[in-house]
Amino acid sequence: MTLVDWVIVVLRVALPAMIFPALVIPLTWVERRGAAFIQDRFGPNRVGPFGLFQAVADAVKMFTKEAVMPASADKLLFLLAPAIAAFAALSTFAIVPYGATLKIDGREIPLIGADVSIGILYSFAIVSLSVYAIVLAGWASNNKFSLMGGIRSSAQIISYELAMTTAAAGVVLVASSFKLNDIIAAQQRPMPILAFVPQWNIFIQPLGFIIFLVSAFAETNRLPFDLPEAEPELVAGYHTEYSAMRFGAFQMAEYVNVVVACAITVTLYLGGWSLPGFHPESILGVALSILIFATKTAFLVWVFVWVRWTLPRFRYDQLMRLGWKVLLPLALVNLFWAAALEMVRAAR
Amino acid sequence: MTVARFVFDAAAAVAVLFGGLMVVTRNSVRSVLTLVVAFFALAVTYVMLLSPFIAAIQVIVYAGAILVLFLFVLMLLNIGHIPAERSGPLQTLLGSLGVVLFAALLLGTLRGAGASIPAPTGETPQVLSDPASLSRELFSKYLLHFEAVSVLLLAALVGAFVLARREKQP
Repeated sequence: MTLVDWVIVVLRVALPAMIFPALVIPLTWVERRGAAFIQDRFGPNRVGPFGLFQAVADAVKMFTKEAVMPASADKLLFLLAPAIAAFAALSTFAIVPYGATLKIDGREIPLIGADVSIGILYSFAIVSLSVYAIVLAGWASNNKFSLMGGIRSSAQIISYELAMTTAAAGVVLVASSFKLNDIIAAQQRPMPILAFVPQWNIFIQPLGFIIFLVSAFAETNRLPFDLPEAEPELVAGYHTEYSAMRFGAFQMAEYVNVVVACAITVTLYLGGWSLPGFHPESILGVALSILIFATKTAFLVWVFVWVRWTLPRFRYDQLMRLGWKVLLPLALVNLFWAAALEMVRAAR
Repeated sequence: MTVARFVFDAAAAVAVLFGGLMVVTRNSVRSVLTLVVAFFALAVTYVMLLSPFIAAIQVIVYAGAILVLFLFVLMLLNIGHIPAERSGPLQTLLGSLGVVLFAALLLGTLRGAGASIPAPTGETPQVLSDPASLSRELFSKYLLHFEAVSVLLLAALVGAFVLARREKQP
């Protein structure tokens, strides 16, 4: 490999990983102003135009505040938990293609961190490790509210992971590949009937899309499923004892997780960077494909904010019942539906 | 020694080290966590053996689901530190004897097995590295084995359910 190849690899792997933590700043602004808009308030509007610099001020505050450690905490695990949260959040995106293949000087540069054969399974593996951050934070704090948050989180994530992976299995079945590039390619095929509709998985498996999105809310601990922090009951749940940038790491991980969950949903169900009839060849086209991907993801992120300030929180038993008795059976139904469609396609 | 070989050896060493730590650690939550590290290191060795699918399943099922359940139970029952129990001289003697015998058995098996494995040819069997061909093998050549295992798991599930509900009957 020449130097240029090395630079390209580092850029395409490192750029998304560097952009994601910075996204937290505009996202907290969107969340707080969005909440204010929905609740008919002003929201933060004093620092900078439209209060845009409020989040920057908050970030500075987090970096400079005192980091308190409870005297009875398990010191090693207490410090490890936010690190695991940040690690898991930042490494999940590696297998998501964020644009069409770039062709310069005879080089083909796929815009993806690592195009591995297990594709989406990699993301599920990392996401399943991220639960340790919350469980450990809850346990190591040595505080009953934190512990309750950690216990809830472990039960919740196991329940919803099952429905989520089963729903995604339908998508994998249609594309017959775990690779997200292949899944996007499968969604670019024309529909057998109603040819003007793109064959996005949201149209052929609407049930799977809803299950995946609901599970994504639960996996990212967002309202209506934010039981691990549930502030009216548990103070702040698993991060009650955290302050300064250790708390900031959890906050960053939550927002990065939301963006990544939206990016994966866009790739699995909304055609990723593609649009019907759009085949990018030039550099401009590739840039446009990145923009399309970002726009679709941004819309879904807004849906996350929208839902958070619209729906009330579930009770714990309702949450478990929804996961096991509703979403999981429906995900199996969706899998059969996808398999039946594939059989019809193969028979034609 | 190549980089790949170094990573493999390092991951294998971490897996063995943390597997040992898991037995020695007195704090039950930390004990589970050392096992998580051991499983993750094991997954890394699978990746270095060009079997990413097995590695992903290892992390999703063992580290991501089963050990989270362990933690859930430990935290729910609030089992923290386990006090060291003093064992009698007979227990110590028998325990040490068992360890020595098992180590001898393991070493003997490993030495014997090493001779029968052909030298690596440098190319990986397609079946392991590619999820599609792995599943094709699983659902054709090994279908009976696959189904037998799934029936076994179902039986275990039903058994656990029956055991858990027994106390409610009069």
